[in-house]
Amino acid sequence: MSKFLKTLAVLAPLSLLCNNVAWADPDAEDGAKVFNKCKACHAVGEGAKHKVGPELNDLFGRTAGTAEGYKYSPAMTKAGEEGLVWNDETLHAYLAAPRGYVKGTKMAFAGLKKKEEIDDLLAYLKTHTSGAAAPEEKEAEPERKSEAPAPTEERKAEAAPAPDAAPKTHGVFHLGRPATADEIAAWDIDVRPDGHGLPEGRGTVAEGEALFTDQCAACHGDFGEAIGRWPVLAGGQDTLTNDRPVKTIGSYWPYLSTVYDYIRRAMPFGNARSLSDDDVYALTAYVLYLNDIVTDEDFELSRDNFTSVEMPNKDGFIDDDRLSEPHYAGKAEPCMNDCRPGKAEITMHAAVLDVTPDAEDGEGSPSIE
Amino acid sequence: MTNTPTRRSFMKGGLGAGAALAAAGLAAPARAEGDPAITEIQDWNRYSGPGVDASPYGKPSKFEAGVVRRNVAWLTADPVSSVNFTPLHELDGIITPNGLCFERHHAGVAEIDPHKHRLMINGLVETPLVFTMADLMRFPRENHVYFLECAANSGMEWRGAQLNGCQYTHGMIHCVMYTGVKLKHLLDEAGVKTNGKWVMPEGADASAMTRSIPMEKAMEDCLVAFRMNGEALRPEQGYPLRLVVPGWEGNMWVKWLRRLEVGDEPWQAREETSKYTDLLANGKARRFTFLMDVKSVITSPSPQAPITHGRGRTVVTGLAWSGTGRIKRVDVSLDGGRNWVTARLDGPSLPKALHRFYHEFDWDGSELFLQSRAMDEAGFVQPTKQELRAARGPNSIYHNNGIQTWHVATDGAVENVEIS
Ligand code: HEC
Ligand code: HEC
Repeated sequence: MSKFLKTLAVLAPLSLLCNNVAWADPDAEDGAKVFNKCKACHAVGEGAKHKVGPELNDLFGRTAGTAEGYKYSPAMTKAGEEGLVWNDETLHAYLAAPRGYVKGTKMAFAGLKKKEEIDDLLAYLKTHTSGAAAPEEKEAEPERKSEAPAPTEERKAEAAPAPDAAPKTHGVFHLGRPATADEIAAWDIDVRPDGHGLPEGRGTVAEGEALFTDQCAACHGDFGEAIGRWPVLAGGQDTLTNDRPVKTIGSYWPYLSTVYDYIRRAMPFGNARSLSDDDVYALTAYVLYLNDIVTDEDFELSRDNFTSVEMPNKDGFIDDDRLSEPHYAGKAEPCMNDCRPGKAEITMHAAVLDVTPDAEDGEGSPSIE
Repeated sequence: MTNTPTRRSFMKGGLGAGAALAAAGLAAPARAEGDPAITEIQDWNRYSGPGVDASPYGKPSKFEAGVVRRNVAWLTADPVSSVNFTPLHELDGIITPNGLCFERHHAGVAEIDPHKHRLMINGLVETPLVFTMADLMRFPRENHVYFLECAANSGMEWRGAQLNGCQYTHGMIHCVMYTGVKLKHLLDEAGVKTNGKWVMPEGADASAMTRSIPMEKAMEDCLVAFRMNGEALRPEQGYPLRLVVPGWEGNMWVKWLRRLEVGDEPWQAREETSKYTDLLANGKARRFTFLMDVKSVITSPSPQAPITHGRGRTVVTGLAWSGTGRIKRVDVSLDGGRNWVTARLDGPSLPKALHRFYHEFDWDGSELFLQSRAMDEAGFVQPTKQELRAARGPNSIYHNNGIQTWHVATDGAVENVEIS
């Protein structure tokens, strides 16, 4: 018996028991919100297509790794061949710890911590599996009549847990309360070019490569070259004066601190703030390596050597001097009559004529920043 | 339903289907037996409609269902970090309805429980502080109407005419009345140290957006806002709290605002280095190009709002704005910038807000090249696209405030073009 069938055997009686326990009813509507965490990579519902991950329609009863037209990792395909079929139990186990349950899956997602979240999520996903939706629809809630107006925001809002009523130690209005050191440490994670804000820690190119392959390459490509329209992270050196410049970390970004700061606060997309400080050092080192700014796989980036790394385009920026442009500098009274010679002739038509919401994919069209 | 084609059914039938448009028109058919809209009793004239609570939060008429924000799916990799556009061609006046204000998110719309929302001020201040929403509402409030324009508005048009509709070419802008408290009050409350020269706002969403704002601007007119057009901010506009940075690029108006840090130098965040820097032809890029320049666009007629009534009395209308202050004058050209007439500004003229202009004329049915050109109270005049490209090269992307040309064909269809 494969390990997946074993888990099933263990889980089955448990789940029977659970039926008698008064769990908060799983709620598909709340589940739709939980699904926001998956949306970066998965689509579900009418017309859903494969994205970074496979589409999730008719997931319940699907053998793992078998959605048509999607290229799975060898690990997921193998799990399916060994008998892994998606249902309540297996999805609970997978979504709680994807890489613990299917070793080697390329799904770069840390997992959902709360069981109730997974319950709600599965209730929602069931609404997109034909025949799997909860049998008894919840009785339609009676229309909530607006007997009394809801309390206004001002009255509702409770005070932040303050040590004691705001001591009149600060300011003009004596509003708010002092922030504690721990609170500041929890939020103040920004890093500046001079190294201000860098945490203790370290990581090597080789460590970064493993993390990148696991958590970043699905969107940014193995070499930072990008999959589809996701951002390119490497290359483009010496293209800034080209007709079509390629602006990347290596070719354009002036400071390394921005790489650390941004990855730490916003990546991986859809699972922000999940990386350790050491992970971010390793990933930053690896991005430098992808851009040929460091070439040694044993290179270790740390707080100590961070500010010594210089970016190729560090001198590429100037201050705003728009006002010196001829059309602004003169501030001349504009011409009203016979301002241009001859009759106007069309030199260019709109390239994209029919900008409907479902316009065809515009390969080679301009992209937005 | 009658069989009379409406303007809406034309719009659904496809944009720029010009010939049919002009032929059919909107004018009521004058038949011998009279207009059935008058001679026949209509349902709404006979039967009562829904009662008062049918729609506790009112919605637009079902006949306005096409007046919505739209995106261009292929512009970005994923709708979670993407943009949609305000339907400028369907609007009038200077205020954008809350539900039509364009959206630009970097990690989707954060759903924040206002009771769990906090605003922290830390860095170079005497007393780092934490405020609840209730605390913030106890500061003196102010109301101001401001436009918010994304620096990438019209960015797709840098190299030439691209998208056929002012919703897409100019729709990354909106203008609402904000209620909030002066950022200055909050900073004073914490006490900015003498070496505090920059302020960094940070969002509470999963992109944790940050920008660096010079202290003079922060103290001058920035607001920390919790309402737009009288009601709470919409989630997609930063509920419960956003920064308002009047006249400056939209990216700095951090939504879901949770922290303000004071520092002695800018942070060089991703959004002010990798993005929102303007690459010039010589390979150097301008940075900290905060101000939104003087700009205008004709919103109707435009590609999504063709002339459907045939020749005769015609209303040209549009919007003008400048990050410097008020708009002083808008000129309109019907012949592609050869000759100009001064348009009529109507409605309130408020600094750093949208201004509405009109130009009425008798259309003789001949081809038109419509342009508008704004001038602000500081004397800056909206440049042509050619002038901008000559000064900046083809890859500047941001801050495209060039004069827009709409070609009106003899059948009333309108197209986005560039001209000699
Ligand atoms: C960062 C991208 C990413 C996120 C976020 C993500 N997934 Fe995935 N998911 C993937 C990829 C890639 C695969 C394919 C895995 C493989 O082949 O190893 C996958 C596979 C799956 C599968 C297996 C489908 C099959 O056909 O066998 C399920 C189920 C699934 N994901 C559910 C979810 C749910 C639910 C969430 C949100 C809680 C989520 N995923 C979040 C990328 C992601
Ligand atoms: C699900 C797809 C996805 C995954 C996985 C992902 N990213 Fe990203 N990444 C994005 C998107 C989308 C953006 C742009 C976000 C925006 O502009 O709002 C981005 C932007 C970036 C940028 C800035 C690029 C630029 O030119 O401004 C860096 C650096 C980056 N990611 C690094 C990483 C790293 C390191 C990881 C792995 C830990 C990672 N990303 C995982 C989608 C992804």
